[in-house]
Amino acid sequence: MDTYLFSLVVILVGGILPLFTYKKFTVMKAACVIITAIGSFTGLYAALSFLIHPVENAVISWPWLHHFEIALQMDAMAAFFLIPIFFICPLATLYSFHYMHHEKQSGKTAISYFFSAVLFVSMALLTTANNMLTFALAWEIMSLSSFFLVVFDFRNKETRKAGYLYFIFAQAGALFLFAAFAVIYSQTGTLSFDSISAMPENMKLIAFVLAFMGLGSKAGVFPLHIWLPHAHPAAPSPVSAVMSGVMIKMGIFGIIRFYMLLAPAGEIYGQIILVAGMISGILGVVYALGVHDIKRLLAYSSVENIGIILLGLGLGMLGVATGNSTMAAFGFAGGLLHVFNHSIFKSLLFMGAGSVIHKAGTGKINELGGLMKTMPVTGKTFLVGAVSISGLPPFNGFVSEFLIYYGAFYGLAHGSSFLLPMLTIISLAVIGGLAASCFTKLVGVAFLGEPRTENAAKASECGIAMRISMVVLALSCIVVGVFPEPFVHIVFRVVSGLPIAATVSPTVFIDLVRNISLVAVLFLGILGITMLLRKGLYSGKPMAKGPTWGCGFTQPTVRMQYTGTSYAMSIVGFFRPFIHSENVYSGIQKIFPGKTTYKTKVSDRAESAILETVVKPVFWVLDKLRWIQHGEIQLYIAYIVLAIVILLLAQ
Amino acid sequence: MIHLTDVILSITILSVLLTLGSNRLMALVKIIALQGVLVSLTPLFMEHHDKLTGGILFLTPITVAIKGLVIPAFLFFAVKKASIRREIEPIISYHASLFAGLAMILVSAFIVDRLPLNLPGSHALLLITGITTLAAGLLLMMGRRKGITQVIGYLMLENGIYLIGTALAREVHTLHVLEFGILLDLLAGVMIMGIILTNINRAFDDMDTSLLMRLKD
Repeated sequence: MDTYLFSLVVILVGGILPLFTYKKFTVMKAACVIITAIGSFTGLYAALSFLIHPVENAVISWPWLHHFEIALQMDAMAAFFLIPIFFICPLATLYSFHYMHHEKQSGKTAISYFFSAVLFVSMALLTTANNMLTFALAWEIMSLSSFFLVVFDFRNKETRKAGYLYFIFAQAGALFLFAAFAVIYSQTGTLSFDSISAMPENMKLIAFVLAFMGLGSKAGVFPLHIWLPHAHPAAPSPVSAVMSGVMIKMGIFGIIRFYMLLAPAGEIYGQIILVAGMISGILGVVYALGVHDIKRLLAYSSVENIGIILLGLGLGMLGVATGNSTMAAFGFAGGLLHVFNHSIFKSLLFMGAGSVIHKAGTGKINELGGLMKTMPVTGKTFLVGAVSISGLPPFNGFVSEFLIYYGAFYGLAHGSSFLLPMLTIISLAVIGGLAASCFTKLVGVAFLGEPRTENAAKASECGIAMRISMVVLALSCIVVGVFPEPFVHIVFRVVSGLPIAATVSPTVFIDLVRNISLVAVLFLGILGITMLLRKGLYSGKPMAKGPTWGCGFTQPTVRMQYTGTSYAMSIVGFFRPFIHSENVYSGIQKIFPGKTTYKTKVSDRAESAILETVVKPVFWVLDKLRWIQHGEIQLYIAYIVLAIVILLLAQ
Repeated sequence: MIHLTDVILSITILSVLLTLGSNRLMALVKIIALQGVLVSLTPLFMEHHDKLTGGILFLTPITVAIKGLVIPAFLFFAVKKASIRREIEPIISYHASLFAGLAMILVSAFIVDRLPLNLPGSHALLLITGITTLAAGLLLMMGRRKGITQVIGYLMLENGIYLIGTALAREVHTLHVLEFGILLDLLAGVMIMGIILTNINRAFDDMDTSLLMRLKD
C-alpha cells in the first residue's frame, strides 16, 4: 500500500514539475516522461505484487474536513484495474514526447502534462476508493482533468464544442452516480461501502440502474456514448489513447464494483447488462463502419468493445443469479481480460492514428492511402492492433472473446437460460465479423493502396518516442495472445473474489488457455517457416514492383481505388433502420459520363434522438424563462435575497 | 458598566445606518474602513477569547490591515480615478433606506430572539449586529446604481457574515478557519469587482451598473 501511494506521489511530482520548467521545452518533456515512468513502474510493481501475494486489510484512511473520511483499499479488483493505468499511462506520456512538438506551445504542453498526471492519479485513486465520498471525489477529478486535456487545442471552435459536450455528459453522468449514492445513503445512513449489501432488493435495483446510467455514460454504453466520437477527434492523440484505453474502463470498473458491493440476487442485473452490451456492441461497430474519420471510427469502436466487455460481465451476472458458476467465472474473466486487452490495442490504435494525423495532416481515411510504405512501423503496429481488436487469433483480443464465447456456450449447454446466452453468442459473432470488416476498411484504405492526396504521399515515419510506445504495445498484444496463461491467472484471481466463482477450479481455465497458446505458437511457427521459405525460394529471382491496383493498366489513377465509403456502403445500408445515412448521388446519364459525385454522411441516431427529446424541450423551457435574465444587477441581488428568505422560511 | 464590546457594536450599527443614509462616495469609503477595523477587532473582546492565543495575535493585525487599509485604499483610488463624487438617483431612496435599516435592527433582534440558540450574554447583541449589517449590505447592493456603492455593500455583507461567524463559532480553531476563509473571499471579490468596475468605467464613462443592461443580447 505504501509503495502504491509513493508511486502516486511520484507521478504527481512528474506532473507538477513541468509547470515550473516549461521554459526548457525538451528538458521538461524528458523529465516528465522519466518521472512518470518511474512512478508508474513502482505502481505496477505494487499492483502486481499485491495480485501475486495478496495482503489482508490493505486499507488506509484519513479524515477530511472533520466529518468525512478519505478511505483507500487495495483489493484484487483494484490491483487488476491499476495494471492498465500504470502500463498505458507512461507509454502515452512517452508517446507525447514527440507528439507535442510545438515549442511555442510549451506552456500549454506543461499544463497538459499536469492534468495528465492528475488524471492518472485520480484514476488510480478511483480504483482503490473505499467509500462513496472518495469514489465521488476521484470520479469528479478524473472527469475534470480529462476535460482540460480534451480542450488542449482550445482556440479551435470545434474542439471547444466537443469539450463542452464531454463536460455536459461527464457532469450529467456524475449526477446519476450521485443520485445512486443518495439512494444508497438513504438506505444505509453511511457513506461507507461496507453495509451496501444489506439494502432491500428493490432499492438495490434502483441504485444499480442509476449508477449504471452514470457509469455507463463514462464508459460509452450505447445511447450515452455521444461524447466519445466528438471528444476523441478533438483531443490530442496521447490523451485519446489514455481516455479510450483506460479512462472509459473506469466506468466498467464502477459497474463491477457496484455490482459486487450490492451483491444483488435476481437475473434482471445480468439481463440489463447483456442487453446494453448487445446494443453497444453491434451498433458501435456499425457506426464505426459508417464513419470515415480515423479517430471517430476508433471512438465508435471503443463503444463496440465496451459492448463486448458488458456482454462478458452480463453473462457473469447471469451466471451468478442462476447459480451457474462456470458461466459466471468465464463471463467475468472474459470481460475483465477484455478490459485489459482493449486498453492495450485501443491505445495502440489511437497512437497509430495520432502519428498518421501528425504526419499526413488529416484523419479522413478517404484522403489517405499507401501509408504502410512511408510509415512502416506505424503501419505494422497499427495492423497488429487492428487484427487484435477484430478478435482474431493469435492476438490478445481473441483470448478474451474466446473466454466469453466459452462462458456463453457453457451456459447454453448447462441450461441456465436459453435466450440470452444464445443472443450473446450471436451478437459476439456479428460484432466480430463487422469489426473485422471495419478494420480491413481502415487498414486497407488508409495504409494500403496508393496515397490519395499530396499530404498522404508526403507522410514520413514519426518520432522514435512514438514508435517505441507503439512497438511496446504491439508486442504486448502478441505476448498476451500467444502466452495468455499468466494473464488468465491474474484475471482468475480477481474473479475468485466473487463468492460464486470459488467453486470453479482454475484448471478449467488453464487447460483451455494452454490449448490457445499451443495453437498460437503453431500458427506463428508455420507463418515464420512460410515466410522463410518464400524468402528462400524467391531469392535471386527477378522481381518487379508495380503500383497497387495497377492490374495491368498502364495509367492507373489513385481514384480507382476502393474508398472507405464504397467499401462499407453495403453493410451500412443493411443496418439502415439503426443508422441514418444521407446519400447524394448525381447518377450517370450518358454513355461517356461526365463528372459525377457520390456523397454519404452518417449521422448518429442516438445523437439526434437526444437532441430531439432532451435538448429541444430544455431549450424551449429556458427560452420562455429568458425574461428573468434582464441585466439589472440590483434585481439579481434581490433574487438571491428572495431565494435565501424562501429557504429560511421553508425550514 | 459599559462593556467595550457594546461600544464597538453600537458604533458598527451606527456606521451601518450612516452608509444607508449617505450619498457621498468618499464618505462611504471612510465609513467602511472604520467599520472594517471595528469588526475585525470584535473577536478580541469576546468573552470566550480571553486567552489571547497566538492565532488571534497573528490574525487580527492581518485582518485589520486588509479590512481597514488595503481594501479601502483600493476603493479610494477607484473613486479618485473615476472622478465621481456622489450617488445619484438611488433605486431605493435615502430615507427609505434609513427606515429599512431601522426596521432591520428590529427584525434581526426578533430573529435572534426566536432562534433556538443559547448564546452567552453579548453574543446575542453581536448576532443582531451581524444580521443587520448583512441585510444592510444586501440592501445597499440592491438599492444603489454606482458600482462603488455596490462593492461597499458587498463589503458590508461580508462584515456581517464575519460578525455572525464570530458569534456562532464555538471553538477558537473553527473561528480562525472561518475568518480567514471570509477574508480571502473578500479580497478576491473586491479584486474582481475592481476589474469589472474599471471596465465598466472605461466602456461607458460611468460606473452605473445598470448600463450593463446594454450588454444583453
